[in-house]
Amino acid sequence: MELEQLKKSVEENPDDSSLQFELGLYLWDNGGDSEKAAEHFVLSAKSDPNNAVAFKYLGHYYSRVTLDLNRAAKCYQRAVLINPNDSDSGEALCDLFDRQGKEILEIAVCRDASEKSPKAFWAFCRLGYIQLHQKKWSEAVQSLQHAIRGYPTMSDLWEALGLAYQRLGMFTAAIKAYGRAIELDETKIFALVESANIFLMLGSYRKGVELFEQALKISPQNISVLYGLASGLLSWSKECINLGAFGWAASLLEDARKAAKASSELASSMSCIWKLHGDIQLTYARCFPWSGGTENSEFTLKTFSDSILSWRSICYSAALSAKASYQRALHLAPWQANVYTDIAITCDLVSSLSDDSDTSSSWKLPEKMVLGALLLECENSEFWVALGCMSDNSALKLHALIRALHLDVSLAVAWAFMGQIFRESDEMKFAKQAFDCARSIDPTLALPWAGSADTYARESTSDEAFESCLRAAQISPLAEFQVGLAWLALLQGNISSPQIFACIEQAVQRSPYYPEPHNLHGLVCEARHNYHTAIASYRLALAAMSIYPESSVKSHAGKVSINLVRSLSKAGRFKESVMECANLKSKGLLDAGGLQIYAFSLWRTGQNDSALSVIRDLAGRISTREKTSIAFPISFICSLLYCISGLDSAITSIQKMPKDFFQSSKISFIVSAIHSLDQSDRLQSIVASTRSYITSQEEIVAMHYLIALSKLLKTGAGDFLGYEKGIAHLSKAIHMYPHSNLIRNLLGYILLAGEGMKDACTASRCCIINVSECANKEGLKSALEVLGGGSVACNVIGNTAPRFSFPTCHCQYLNAPVVVVELQRFLHQEPSNSSVRYLLILNLVQKAREQRFPRQLCRAIERLISVALSDETCSKEGEYKKFQLLLCASEISLQMGNIAESINHARKASSLSLPSSYLFLGHLQLCRAYAANGSTKNMQEEYRACLELKTDSNIGWICLKLIESQYNLEPDANLLEMSLQECSSQKKNSWKEWMAVYSLARGLDSTGKKDFFSAEEFLAQACSLLNSESCLLLCHGAVCMELARQSNDSQFLSLAVKSLSKVQASSLFPLPIVYTLLAQAHGSLGSKEKWEKNLRLEWFCWPPEMRPAEVYFQMHILARQSEDRPETTSGIENYQSPEKWVIRAIHTDPSCRRYWKVLDKLVQHPMS
Amino acid sequence: MKLAGLKSIENAHEDSVWAATWVPATEDRPALLLTGSLDETVKLWRPDELDLVRTNTGHSLGVAALAAHPSGIIAASSSIDSFVRVFDVDTNATIAVLEAPPSEVWGMQFEPKGTILAVAGGSSASVKLWDTASWRLISTLSIPRPDAPKPSDKTSSKKFVLSVAWSPNGKRLACGSMDGTICVFDVDRSKLLHQLEGHNMPVRSLVFSPVDPRVLFSGSDDGHVNMHDAEGKTLLGSMSGHTSWVLSVDASPDGGAIATGSSDRTVRLWDLKMRAAIQTMSNHNDQVWSVAFRPPGGTGVRAGRLASVSDDKSVSLYDYS
Repeated sequence: MELEQLKKSVEENPDDSSLQFELGLYLWDNGGDSEKAAEHFVLSAKSDPNNAVAFKYLGHYYSRVTLDLNRAAKCYQRAVLINPNDSDSGEALCDLFDRQGKEILEIAVCRDASEKSPKAFWAFCRLGYIQLHQKKWSEAVQSLQHAIRGYPTMSDLWEALGLAYQRLGMFTAAIKAYGRAIELDETKIFALVESANIFLMLGSYRKGVELFEQALKISPQNISVLYGLASGLLSWSKECINLGAFGWAASLLEDARKAAKASSELASSMSCIWKLHGDIQLTYARCFPWSGGTENSEFTLKTFSDSILSWRSICYSAALSAKASYQRALHLAPWQANVYTDIAITCDLVSSLSDDSDTSSSWKLPEKMVLGALLLECENSEFWVALGCMSDNSALKLHALIRALHLDVSLAVAWAFMGQIFRESDEMKFAKQAFDCARSIDPTLALPWAGSADTYARESTSDEAFESCLRAAQISPLAEFQVGLAWLALLQGNISSPQIFACIEQAVQRSPYYPEPHNLHGLVCEARHNYHTAIASYRLALAAMSIYPESSVKSHAGKVSINLVRSLSKAGRFKESVMECANLKSKGLLDAGGLQIYAFSLWRTGQNDSALSVIRDLAGRISTREKTSIAFPISFICSLLYCISGLDSAITSIQKMPKDFFQSSKISFIVSAIHSLDQSDRLQSIVASTRSYITSQEEIVAMHYLIALSKLLKTGAGDFLGYEKGIAHLSKAIHMYPHSNLIRNLLGYILLAGEGMKDACTASRCCIINVSECANKEGLKSALEVLGGGSVACNVIGNTAPRFSFPTCHCQYLNAPVVVVELQRFLHQEPSNSSVRYLLILNLVQKAREQRFPRQLCRAIERLISVALSDETCSKEGEYKKFQLLLCASEISLQMGNIAESINHARKASSLSLPSSYLFLGHLQLCRAYAANGSTKNMQEEYRACLELKTDSNIGWICLKLIESQYNLEPDANLLEMSLQECSSQKKNSWKEWMAVYSLARGLDSTGKKDFFSAEEFLAQACSLLNSESCLLLCHGAVCMELARQSNDSQFLSLAVKSLSKVQASSLFPLPIVYTLLAQAHGSLGSKEKWEKNLRLEWFCWPPEMRPAEVYFQMHILARQSEDRPETTSGIENYQSPEKWVIRAIHTDPSCRRYWKVLDKLVQHPMS
Repeated sequence: MKLAGLKSIENAHEDSVWAATWVPATEDRPALLLTGSLDETVKLWRPDELDLVRTNTGHSLGVAALAAHPSGIIAASSSIDSFVRVFDVDTNATIAVLEAPPSEVWGMQFEPKGTILAVAGGSSASVKLWDTASWRLISTLSIPRPDAPKPSDKTSSKKFVLSVAWSPNGKRLACGSMDGTICVFDVDRSKLLHQLEGHNMPVRSLVFSPVDPRVLFSGSDDGHVNMHDAEGKTLLGSMSGHTSWVLSVDASPDGGAIATGSSDRTVRLWDLKMRAAIQTMSNHNDQVWSVAFRPPGGTGVRAGRLASVSDDKSVSLYDYS
């Protein structure tokens, strides 16, 4: 039907070009007569010469039906000429030219179209492919980029663009283009392979390997992919080897071997595949690490030998496999000279891994193979270097290297190996020149650095030797370089460095059959205090010596054994140490140092008689001719004699020794220490003579330290130390050496231990705050411990803002506010230091007490205590700390209202294994908790427990007295007083202070009971004992004021004025309320002028933010007085009117009705 | 690669600044810098001018550690009393308070996908893992006690766990101890795989290479920065140059360099190819407690940034390129 209509239309309008075309198109598309269709296309084209589509279809007709290629080309060309964007015509035309080999015409068509129309993307695409084929990479990039604008999702275009970028060396852009192609089509093997190769070239081996693996999933049998994967893994493993990660490299090489194996099965006739397989196996043979060293808990000679054999067999098998692969490669391509050298290298490795010694021929097999390579390429300098390396003939070696340098004078490796030859011949001058030349040419070559290190070491310039060897080991982690580096570090004394640890660990993995790496590994671990690993390493070294005797000298076994016994001793394995020492002694290898270890180990295992015997043997070996070396043995003998036989035996032995033995400072310290313990002073003359050898300032300071300790011990009475003498001596010492932290810390510690009233403040001033140094415990305590303890003992933390209290202690202005911050800083720096955490908790508890136990701070303290209690420590000091922490936790819980928890903590504290004087405090806390809980019966039980336990803590008795008085617990009225007096009398220094505190407590208790007469008596007694303490005077003055009010007796007013005046005189700064009381007293005595003066002074006592309302109210009174006398206008009260003063008082405390009444009166009846 | 000083705030906090971390960018805002201080506050800064956005209070003691969630929405802060608060970065609303007495809190880090928060447990010799959906403790990775204690150890022989680091794929967790060892855990199986050796002093900081999950960097009091093969138990190398403790280590997002902060008051940039320090910044007057590279992401952000904080109360920002 449609066809008929079209025919009718054409017949009616024979000159209509579009109708002709439509009829032809219908015939063409619907399988009609193509010839007739062509006729209509011709008619259409004739009618409309610009009808490009008609020409396109004519082109199709001529090229596909009649095969008239010339006419087809003309039609297509006409179509493109009319419409350059016609991709069908363009592609068809280019295909025709391409089939006919007319590339020039094809390019011309594409270029014309692209120049005419930017949207002729087909032309750009076609042109790009052609340019790519012609290797015109830059032009191809431009064309392809333009084509991609039209076909952005065409994967082939992106792939082509990537290839162009790759050839231009623009690898990053190439990777992106290939990546886009892969995104669009995941099966693009070419893009995957090429981008993987780029990553390998750039050194991103992981990414390259990943892409190869991705390609392998798509095409498992692809030789290119398998080869690329194997190459990538090999390159990656070499990078790991350079890092020293031999195990990692080995695992990568195993994967590489599998990939290479798979590719060789697919194409066994390709030489390069076998070459690659050989490279993989050779690298594996060189890098496979030995394991099973110090990790094995059960060490036997057999297990070590088996592990060595197993490791060696794996390397040997890999080397043999490489040898076979290289031979296959050579067999396939005999003209490849480099494969000859590969076989040579592999044969050399095989012979080194096996014990075969082939002496039948004058030429070694590796030498023969290198000669084969040279026969093919005699001008290859690298092959000559290879010959120089492989040959055992020194003349031939030198000749080969010289020949290589003739060919390439800049061949650094040749210079390096030449230097090696000279070095081995002890021609150090020539060696140095050769190494310097090699290093200047190629600084990244390792051998010149190692060789230079040896030359420096021989010249005794160890620093430069170490740096050079370190550089060599970093560039190429060979076992020889690493062992050398460890030796140099040992000479320099920095063998515990992680750099050395890394090197020697890697060296052991590569050379496990040599004893030297194991011995050095032991030395490194010993220097790092890892004694168990050191012991295992030394035993491995001894095992290596026994299994491979030709690789070591017998005398070295003794040295390694000495190392072993030293580590055993340090590790606390004294029984094993004794056995080893006995074995060495039987062989005659035990030197003086070994004898000391032997004696020490015998003593630690309880064999004192044997130890004494060894000591006598050691003493017999001491020679006075070597004065510089006798100090340590003699010191050791004296110390061990003291430990084994006691003080008298040590003194007797010292007295018998020749005088020449005591001519060193080290011995002086030992003798002085023993002298400190001798109450009879039998070593006085010897000590006096030895001290003349103490010359350096550090030694002098240390001796003063020791003398102070001696005075503490000798001048004490009974169980108490002689604090006064010790303090006196240290005070003199600190005057001479003010910068000595050792002296300062000890002085502070003794002042704290003496428990003097003022000494806590003095102790804090002794120590210097320096976070980075104050933790260094040179003596008994560190500076931070003294400082933290002193801060707690001072009982005043010192708040900055807001003020919670007004302390009367002076030291807070020096360092008290800093302590909490410094403790936090230090805990952050050394988080595992339990002492610092302990001190921080104590200081924070003091802070919480002063701030009336704020909830948030209490919770923080709870968390810290919880952590501290969970940290297990078994020492006696730890038990005491745990006790203190439990008491702190109990107090915090009590203040937070959690009485049950408080009782629980206190009960735990009371159950610890501590002296009774400490447990007293635990039960005292239980008393307080039960009192708060209202449990009278339990409280009484705890009270009786306290009486039975007793304590030497004054504050404990005073607190117990307060509880007794408050809750009417008086089974024996005099027992507490007697106990307190007994306790105080034992510490003569602070007797007055503690009795004063006791009287203060009694006075406060009486005040609570409204018995002001008794309170006044107690407080007067306290003031008489401690007449400069502000708080005592303040309390006494206040009580006198109350008594004066009650009894209307002016005598109490006078007493009050006297005490209150002393308060301000002795305080570092004015205390609030005191002036108000003084004003009241003076007013009562009739002195109006003094009344006004003191009221004004009260104003200035308060910080502005803390002034109470009453102070403002008092100002209003003064202001009214001033209004009555206008001539006095200079006082503080005149700044505002009385009404305004009252308003400020009301603003501060709106709840006071008295203020409102006064304000009302002032407003209603203003002064006129 | 190099560093260039951009901005430095002299008195960023009232006392020592101990911790710094970057909060990743979200759709609404760019990356922000979080700092924690001994003055008990956490501050939020907007780069590159380091404008102060907000000061968060609430801790009772110094803020010792900070961690930012990969989403950039929440962060966690902890103080010396082991108080951990998880909060919304933009609103400062408290999301959770993590407490598991007697747990101890030192280093913290979110798992790369953000599902777990790992907390170094100090003297508990363990790492605690908290679920970020329910904020419950889901696992405790314990380090076994050494077989035989060292006689030289006067205190407990238990390890003190100070630092933690997640591998980029979230499968491995490394933690550093005061005795210098580094333990590597298989997180899915809650199993200790092995220990890495090389340091014999506290390991203050750990970081995995962002491009190679086998490579782990560690900084220690011995002044060295070590490079470990975390799977093969091999010490690959040791880089020296700092004259005092290495307190912080961070890896650049491109994996080509690491930055370190030290007690010697310097910030150093290390080229991992050369395995040497290529640049030293000396603008801090006291030890540098934390260095942090800005994570990749954010609209229009191409340049790298490195932040450092110090005991001298300052916060510094550098351009890394």
